[in-house]
Amino acid sequence: MGKACLKWTTLGSLALLLAGCATYPDPATTRQLGEKMVSEDFTAPAPALLKRLVQDRSQQICSKIGGAQLTQQEAAEVVELARASMKYPASGKLVGDWKIGDKLAHDGAGDRIQGGRLEKRKENGGLCQNCHALAPGEINVGNVGPSLTGYGAQRGSSEAVAKLTYERIYNGWAYAPCSNMPRLGATGHLTPDQITHLVAYLIDPASPINKR
Amino acid sequence: MAEPMKIRAILQGDVADVRILMMHPMETGQRKDAKGEIVPLHFIQSVVVTHNGKTVLDTQWSQAVSRNPFLGLRIKGAKPGDKIGVTWVDNKGDKRTDEATVAAPS
Amino acid sequence: MAIARGGVAAVTFVCLVAPGAALAQAQADDPMAVGRQMLMEDNPGELWIERGKKLFYEKRGPKKASLEQCDFGLGPGKLEGAAARLPRYFPDTDKVQDLESRLLTCMVQLQGFNRDAIVKSAISRPASDGSDMEALALYITSRSNGMKVNVSLRHQKEYDTYKAGEYLFHRRAGQTDFACVQCHGEAAKRIRLQDLWHIDNPKHIGEVASTWPAYRGAHFVVRTMQWRLYDCFWQMRLPELKYASDTSIALTTYLQYRGNGTVIKVPGFKR
Repeated sequence: MGKACLKWTTLGSLALLLAGCATYPDPATTRQLGEKMVSEDFTAPAPALLKRLVQDRSQQICSKIGGAQLTQQEAAEVVELARASMKYPASGKLVGDWKIGDKLAHDGAGDRIQGGRLEKRKENGGLCQNCHALAPGEINVGNVGPSLTGYGAQRGSSEAVAKLTYERIYNGWAYAPCSNMPRLGATGHLTPDQITHLVAYLIDPASPINKR
Repeated sequence: MAEPMKIRAILQGDVADVRILMMHPMETGQRKDAKGEIVPLHFIQSVVVTHNGKTVLDTQWSQAVSRNPFLGLRIKGAKPGDKIGVTWVDNKGDKRTDEATVAAPS
Repeated sequence: MAIARGGVAAVTFVCLVAPGAALAQAQADDPMAVGRQMLMEDNPGELWIERGKKLFYEKRGPKKASLEQCDFGLGPGKLEGAAARLPRYFPDTDKVQDLESRLLTCMVQLQGFNRDAIVKSAISRPASDGSDMEALALYITSRSNGMKVNVSLRHQKEYDTYKAGEYLFHRRAGQTDFACVQCHGEAAKRIRLQDLWHIDNPKHIGEVASTWPAYRGAHFVVRTMQWRLYDCFWQMRLPELKYASDTSIALTTYLQYRGNGTVIKVPGFKR
């Protein structure tokens, strides 16, 4: 029944009226309805936290529906915004301590809102294990993102690799606009210092991720 | 009083395949509640299964058995219409008895 | 208390049953399938159906009324097949409603319960006795067991709600830049050991539409679609989704419609 209605919508509104179906709302109307819902249907312990629902320009571009493709212009805009967002640690040192990075990569907690309270800890977890395979032999790892096993072994640990790795974690959309990878640094989920530890975890030859 | 058990007894030849679902907190005495206090020990200590009144299974349980536990067993020599009785008693002295009838295979 | 991690439920079996031939075959191909099949055949969630039935017919609340006059879309008190058509448009409230929001409407209007009080207790704590709403939602949905999910978009508001749900499903927000589609938009993906259903896979979306409410093994209580949506927003580091909100109804409409044709079988079993 519903599928027949959807087919008829492409034949114009007269056909719709004849078929007795609802009419196809234009994207602007849908967007308006959706945004109204978002503005009314969430609570948070503090007004500042409600701002998490407000989309930035890049998120708006990257919320494509039904496999719609990014235009060249949109992709360029997202990349430009991502490049502009890059911030590096004050020390200028992009490679931290892989042991800290190891813990961080396996930490999936922090900053969630439940029962009127914010899950505030000393720092947010890196969430890496949720989506990426890490050290060889670990079973409880996701595959939403590519495997990071042997990351440093494959690429080496040069300054160039460190910088690239840092930026891909801080704001990966500079390289892959609208990818599924969260812009962990740019959105503030992780601090620049935390990211340096993740960089070390990925590229240090002594890191478990690079062991056979 | 506790919720009734769900008992299914389906005949396979002359063996009744009996499946029992029980609702019980089965507290281990190690869990802490939202306030951080220990939830006291509360678990089923014994389960007895009868077939037409005759005891066919007499078990002792510990707090290691999970919350809302499941028990499955097969009883030889069963016929359609036979009565299966299940009784549990927990460490607080609460008990629950439920009955089911052996069903012929459909 | 052991909270289940990964894809295997934490329900302990005190089991003396030898697996039958069908299970043995499942074991050969996929050892986890044996466990899943056993959990589907003997699901503790079933124990809440009776409780939901009792709650439905009991005269409760300040108005001392049962829910028998509640209209779930097929007329007052007609439960058989009603859940299969939800969410749908209701003229008396002039809005599209899912099962839980409709129950809320009736509990307030017919029984005189305080709306905020029900909302506050609608989602129970893990390892508790469960909430009234969870039992009621399960009972009413079980009255559609064996029937196909059949959501219609004929009414303009139903269609608008569906499109809004589609929009929301793809709306990226927050510090994770996640929308639903980030996790549920690709095939063969999983988070840690939890398989992720794929929105474009008819079998997957059919399962999503036909197995809620479900017993959540790790929580030891029955969980509903409202809870499931809330929990996703929690993980995405976004603010708390309001119970029975239009956003939740829009997303539910989007998912249910896409699962049309799937045979309903509740309670489901989730890890």
